[in-house]
Amino acid sequence: MSRYVLQFYKQGYMKYISHLDLLRLFKRSFKRMEIKLQHSQGFNPHPKMSFVQPLSLGYTSVSEYLEFETNEYEEPNHIIQKLNEAMPDGIGIAACRAIPPSKKTLAAMVEYASYELKFKTNHICDWNEKLEEFLQQDKIIILKKQKKSKNLVEQDIKPMIRDIILKDSIVDNNIITLTTTISAGSNFNLNPENLMKSFCTFLDIPFEKEAISIERKELYCSTSEGNGLVPILKIEFKN
Amino acid sequence: MTLTEQLDKLLMKVEKPARYIGGELHSVNKDLNNVKTRFGFAFPDTYEIGMSYLGLQIIYHILNNTDSVFCERIFAPGIDMEGLMREENLPLFTLETKTPAKEMDILGFTLQYELSFTNIINMLDLAGIPFKSKDRSESDPIIAAGGPCAFNPEPLADIVDFFMLGDGEEVLKKVCEIHQSWKARNGNKREFLEEVCQLKGIYVPAFYEPIYNENGVLQAIEKKYEKAPDKIEKNIIEDLDTVDFPNSNVVPLIEVVHDRAVVEIFRGCTRGCRFCQAGMIYRPVRERSQDRIIDIAKNQIASTGYEEMSILSLSTSDYSKIEPLVTDLMGMCKQNNVSLSLPSLRLDSFSFNVLEQIQGYKKTGLTFAPEAGTQRLRDVINKCITDKDIYSGMEQAISLGWTSVKLYFMVGLPTETYEDLDGIAEIAKNIMDIAYRMNGNKRGRFNVTVSVSNFVPKAHTPFQWCAQDTMESFEEKHRYLREKLRKIKGVNFNYHGTETSHMEAVFARGDRHVCETLIKAWSLGCKFDGWREHFKYDKWLQAFKETGIDDNSYAFKAGNPEDILPWDHIDCGVSKEFLISEWNKANHCEQTQDCRRGCVGCGINTHTECKQEGTL
Repeated sequence: MSRYVLQFYKQGYMKYISHLDLLRLFKRSFKRMEIKLQHSQGFNPHPKMSFVQPLSLGYTSVSEYLEFETNEYEEPNHIIQKLNEAMPDGIGIAACRAIPPSKKTLAAMVEYASYELKFKTNHICDWNEKLEEFLQQDKIIILKKQKKSKNLVEQDIKPMIRDIILKDSIVDNNIITLTTTISAGSNFNLNPENLMKSFCTFLDIPFEKEAISIERKELYCSTSEGNGLVPILKIEFKN
Repeated sequence: MTLTEQLDKLLMKVEKPARYIGGELHSVNKDLNNVKTRFGFAFPDTYEIGMSYLGLQIIYHILNNTDSVFCERIFAPGIDMEGLMREENLPLFTLETKTPAKEMDILGFTLQYELSFTNIINMLDLAGIPFKSKDRSESDPIIAAGGPCAFNPEPLADIVDFFMLGDGEEVLKKVCEIHQSWKARNGNKREFLEEVCQLKGIYVPAFYEPIYNENGVLQAIEKKYEKAPDKIEKNIIEDLDTVDFPNSNVVPLIEVVHDRAVVEIFRGCTRGCRFCQAGMIYRPVRERSQDRIIDIAKNQIASTGYEEMSILSLSTSDYSKIEPLVTDLMGMCKQNNVSLSLPSLRLDSFSFNVLEQIQGYKKTGLTFAPEAGTQRLRDVINKCITDKDIYSGMEQAISLGWTSVKLYFMVGLPTETYEDLDGIAEIAKNIMDIAYRMNGNKRGRFNVTVSVSNFVPKAHTPFQWCAQDTMESFEEKHRYLREKLRKIKGVNFNYHGTETSHMEAVFARGDRHVCETLIKAWSLGCKFDGWREHFKYDKWLQAFKETGIDDNSYAFKAGNPEDILPWDHIDCGVSKEFLISEWNKANHCEQTQDCRRGCVGCGINTHTECKQEGTL
């Protein structure tokens, strides 16, 4: 048995296919390319393959991750080559790395995600100053819908924001580009749309979901020491 | 803003945006500089339904295998998407290149069911193409249509420029050849239609005119173009092994209704059920060879990565070498980790043996279609199965551990009485009794679902002269059955809506007059009529009223075999004499044998060879 992590991008029209669609696409692509995945035991065996962090419908990404296990070892470069042959336009494999087997999934190790957010606005202000003011608040409160009860509860998202930066501080054609690194994963997770909504409320400008395009740039976990971040592909495994 | 930029904006707001993006595995793109015929294959329903239809995969594959032709797909957008398209003035477009449908050379609709007709009007409207042939300009696409409903093309005669009858594999290529030479010499549409109507199976409705007398009775179908054929004979592919079949189907990115590899094993059916239009219009039976089927199945699995495969025909068990075929397929599927699904199996011991092997403990429900509740009525409709067949099949099923069975029946069949409905309840009760007898008191949680549809008389069947039941009568029968079946523990009952069955009957035997109603109904908001949540019966009634059409005169019409029928100039290969004799036999409760036991004289063998004749 061999375990791998695969880095891929999801661009163009492929942003409109859902998490489950993508899972099916990979499953079929592995099958077509005769890469034999390890299957779970039991009455309803399914291939051992999972995404490290789901991507919302409508977001593009330059760095998504898939973790999977095969029956036999195969050269990571062969896997890249074969899968790229099978993928539709808009999805491509950038890297594949064999990693040591572990009970802990990569999904459980993710802590941060970085995004690029582009939004259209006529609002004129000093964006850098406003961003600073926004982040200097004691608390950044959003209303979040509870999954079960559907009640709205207040949540302070400030601890989940690592940074927000105005990219190149160029404000082109009324399009503002921000990059941000925020919590992602099973412990703390911040939806970038909620962050934008909160920022728009702070600026007192309307928030329109369709006017924002979001691209995921990277998924990270923490370095073993200090406060650094390491991309999922480069995770260090202790022996 | 370009169409693609506009589209991107809309896709963020709609349900299942991937319906509109194309780009699937094995979808085709071509360099437009080398393309001479742009063909838009239009399916008048949503992506998920259209992509489950094998005919689309076949035509797409065949046309795109021709270098000079580019076939692109067009589906009916969902209601939400349509609303946004209208708001933003985004025209109907192809999935492959996002080209407006209006820019296609030929736009070909497939006619799978009558209740999709309003969607055709809606799609033409979204494309910005005038509905009626006579209102379209030389620069508008040529509108074509094919599929089973093309055998009564008259309701769409004013809309469609030409219909294709029968198997499309070969004639479509010829149509494209004619299109290219015609385009090269800058001909006008009339010239194109004059030329294609010389091909077998091509019907140009503008070249014919139905003549009615002062009482509105059809007197004759007059030819308006001398060189047009008197009768339009359908196309028949004599040997399925000689035509191309997709080895690499387009694999949808989103889940569709039938998301699997599929091989058609034969076309046609020898059983001759008298209500069944498919059984008449797809004659004769033509089998694909076992080698070819296995070959295609292997290729499809390898090229698609599908985890399920299915075979397709009107009656799987009638394939002449079904046992070796299925054994081979099972072995191949097992080896490739693919699950095999075998629809429309006869419930004999071989089938059970196979189902036991492929389903094991994961048994899916069994379905079984006696169609009528008594032997007498089954003789009338020529559904040649007996009570004994039903009960011995059920005994095997129960002993092998099946816990549910679904039974299909029709109500409103000709000569039906309430005794026949009692027969339906009796069959359900007897099956439950078998379950009690074999599984003891708890009947092994066994349950029976009785599903009833309403009989719709169809063109080119022996029942084309038969009146449909009134809606009141259908409803009374449903009530009666519900009461009877309610008393039997373990039996569920469901039935089709009567309103849609009534509409289906109007268009199944409609003539050119109902076209106005169709357009009117669309203008009142009717579309997706086959979808219960979208069907608007009140609007349909209003449309009939406003266009002066009496829907009942179509649905309840009991014809006389001497009558001239609106589709009499369409020749499906089965002779009118045969249909009349079958209609007479039905009225005398006489069966007609399966033609594998010997020719029954339907007339198809005057057009082509019947390889299955007398093989049993």
